[in-house]
Amino acid sequence: MNGAPILTVENLKARFRTKHFGVSREVPAVDDITFSIRRNEIFGLAGESSSGKTTLIKTIAGLVRPPLELVGGRAEFSFLPDAPTLHQASPAAVAKVRWRHLSYIMQASMNVLNPLRRISATFRDFALPHLGGTAGDFERKVTEHLALLRLDPSILDAYPHELSGGMRQRVTIALATICRPDFIIADEPTTALDVIVQKDVLGMIRSIQREMGSSVLFVTHDMAVHAALTDRLGVMYAGCLVEEGATSAVFARPRHPYTRHLIHSLPRIGDDRQRASLAGSPPNLADPPPGCRFHPRCPLAVQRCRQARPAMLEAEPGHRVACHAVEEGRS
Amino acid sequence: MRSYLHYALRRFAQFVLVVFIGINLAYVITHATPIDPVEQSIAAVTSFGNTAPEAIAEMRRSLQELYGLNGGWLEQYSTFWSRVLRADFGPSLSAFPAPVSSLIARALPWTLGLLGFATIVSWLLGNLLGGLAGYYQQNRSLKLLGVLAMALHPVPYYIVALALMIVFGFIWPLLPITGGSAMNLEQGWNLPFIISVAKHSILPALSLILIGVGSWFLGMRSLVSNIVTEDHVVYAEIAGVDPRRILGSYVMRNALAPQVTGLAMSLGGIFNGAVITEKVFGYPGVGTLLVDAVYAGDYGLVLGVTTVSILGVSLGVLLIDLLYPLIDPRVQVTT
Amino acid sequence: MITILRDLLRYNGEFRIGFALIAVVAAMAALSFASPYPPNDVYVVAPDAPPSAAHWFGTTSRGQDVFWQLTIAIRNTLGFGLLVALLSRIISILVGLTAGYLGGWADRILMAINDTFIVLPLFPILILFYFVLRDSMSTVLLACIMASLGWAYDARLIRSVAMSLKQREFTDTAIFSGMKTREILLREHLPYVMPIVFSTTLNNMNWSIGLEVTLAVLGFMDINTPTIGGMIYWANQHTAIVAGVWWWIAFPILLVVMTFVGLYLLAVSMNAYIDPRSRLARMGGGRS
Repeated sequence: MNGAPILTVENLKARFRTKHFGVSREVPAVDDITFSIRRNEIFGLAGESSSGKTTLIKTIAGLVRPPLELVGGRAEFSFLPDAPTLHQASPAAVAKVRWRHLSYIMQASMNVLNPLRRISATFRDFALPHLGGTAGDFERKVTEHLALLRLDPSILDAYPHELSGGMRQRVTIALATICRPDFIIADEPTTALDVIVQKDVLGMIRSIQREMGSSVLFVTHDMAVHAALTDRLGVMYAGCLVEEGATSAVFARPRHPYTRHLIHSLPRIGDDRQRASLAGSPPNLADPPPGCRFHPRCPLAVQRCRQARPAMLEAEPGHRVACHAVEEGRS
Repeated sequence: MRSYLHYALRRFAQFVLVVFIGINLAYVITHATPIDPVEQSIAAVTSFGNTAPEAIAEMRRSLQELYGLNGGWLEQYSTFWSRVLRADFGPSLSAFPAPVSSLIARALPWTLGLLGFATIVSWLLGNLLGGLAGYYQQNRSLKLLGVLAMALHPVPYYIVALALMIVFGFIWPLLPITGGSAMNLEQGWNLPFIISVAKHSILPALSLILIGVGSWFLGMRSLVSNIVTEDHVVYAEIAGVDPRRILGSYVMRNALAPQVTGLAMSLGGIFNGAVITEKVFGYPGVGTLLVDAVYAGDYGLVLGVTTVSILGVSLGVLLIDLLYPLIDPRVQVTT
Repeated sequence: MITILRDLLRYNGEFRIGFALIAVVAAMAALSFASPYPPNDVYVVAPDAPPSAAHWFGTTSRGQDVFWQLTIAIRNTLGFGLLVALLSRIISILVGLTAGYLGGWADRILMAINDTFIVLPLFPILILFYFVLRDSMSTVLLACIMASLGWAYDARLIRSVAMSLKQREFTDTAIFSGMKTREILLREHLPYVMPIVFSTTLNNMNWSIGLEVTLAVLGFMDINTPTIGGMIYWANQHTAIVAGVWWWIAFPILLVVMTFVGLYLLAVSMNAYIDPRSRLARMGGGRS
């Protein structure tokens, strides 16, 4: 792995502001997040649902539109220098990098393929303006790419509803990688797939990433998937990043109590102990608790945790954590 | 292909059901009501002026035969159906001895032309403008169009027709307000006649179109404003697909499918509107024929027009249904 | 209920306009009880007088005061619309809930019949009714006939809500606790379809009033009961436009257009408030 980051996120903040029949709400869904992603690595983002994972990737991807708004900070891609975030870059510049440099794989349960368009037409809409060339050239490129992913070219003639859920997701991955992008954002791409298909799709993402040397921001709540796939891992809780490090290091020695809980709740073969569940539920982001947001559920919480927000500090080289207990050596 | 055949058969079955229920409804209305239609018709015909008693007796006999009131219940019912199936509704009482079927045949092209033209224009225009309004939600002039559509759409056809007639017939007499063409012209494919027909059809068509555009506009606008938030549109947007392509092939195209279904479902209502609009403008179509037949107490003609309109509207719906899989390939699998 | 009304009034422009229009229309209808003239009498005032201080909206060629005639006419028209809407709601709810809940063959048969009534051109059928019944066609009878013809579109909407309710847990709970189908439908499901029933009521009133006006204008219903359509019918009979008695036709049209637009705006804004998707989300199901 070479060291230059392809994505640098610094003090990124974004919030939702809604007004519905007189009730206005402000939800800080991304709260002061800093991390970076290097070339040719798979960076995992973990955390339970509504922890702000999806909002974070939306903000990074420049998909900031009401009710979501950018408050401040930076999420800069190396292929688009001088733009602090995609949202602030010129539409023409963004249009140029989309798909060519930056592409997306969405949740399998989402219907990202136009139901009324054949797969071949969708490939043309998405990739032809970037790849160029004659229709014949383009068709050859698409077929070659499908072959690389071991997909039958006959799927090009199908409509999405004629394919199975797993096959649709494989097609989406082919679509997202056809332009050999530098950076791929994958949002829960294997959730809602059955386990066998899931394994297959994960293998597919892994092999195409190796082949192309791209970077992947891989978001899932499923810690088992992180353990199997990602190189580095960030853990989110209630809109904040609470721990970040090499996946192997985080799994070997999770520092934040929340990360520990996530890892320990994974089932393991031969281990039939009752798994302790965490008391309480994730906080309402519209009205987050003061201090460390995890303190109401934290077994290690002390007075300081209720008052001051812990800073993200390096516990050991390349392994950062935001926890007073770790800082004070209590954990 | 087999799945299309299956689908087409189902739609055809629905068509048969509509016609069956519709025609039976007409039978029940005319035969199972406590009021004797024969006496009603005689009363209507004889209410003005004196009629000789023998003439009334003669009229009663022929009406009883015409209504199919002879014989038992089953015989009446089968007579009714055989008349419907042979499109034989006897001679018209008001235009004696012209047969009802030839009167309808003469009026039908007018209605088909007016209705077909107005429906297609308002469907296309309403969907185009409504789609744009749903996509460019901040556009001022499209917003204004939306307000206009909201004010026009709920108003019944009669009122709009009357308003147009007052404006263009009395206040600002610009266009002919009655008839299908100028009287003195030879009917056929000659230019003066065609121009006259076109001129006469402007106001009736306009009143149908004004309301039609409004309702398609509102429907399409709300469909599109939902579709733009759908996964496949958002995905295409973040992929940087050409915005014109997104508007055309991802948004409008996908919103059209329910609007085609909507067209099939509202054909009956549009026909209702055509009846009254024709009458307001004295347009020589089946609507005017129907209303005048009621005034004249012409049973055969009323029944004939009712039957033909049931058949015509259901045929129109069947046609749209059969073409629908061209718009939405999913339908063959799911239904 | 009151808070919903307040929220809608405060934050929804369409609702505000609709509410104001319907308030004016309802006030007109209420004034009918204070009318100085018996509604069915003619030649009670000087005919053909233009709008003046004595007769705000002028008088008709039949010697009626347009303003006071209008109050009784709009009352009857609104009453007619309400009656049709209430009667047809019974059929829509029955068919919609049953089809949505039972599914399978019952659903297919009911929906085939339902779609038939959606497709059928009702106007010629109503005319056929009038042709046969003639003078026996009373306003109430017409309301019953229209209710039995005009339920189908709304039944389909109710069915789609009922189908989603069937998937919900409380339905299973009700089944396991031994409730009968009828009880489940009436006690568990009906409350959830009420909002959509309410908004379809408004649309149905628009539909039936529109048909009533059209039929009356042609003289195809009881034209001696004063209604908006009946007023326009008599104005046409006396060729009011040609004779220059424009107020006889303009004010009824103005009032009925206010009714249509008002009812429509109320229905639209209410639909936005009770959007089935946001409702389902609030009930804790469906995709967010």
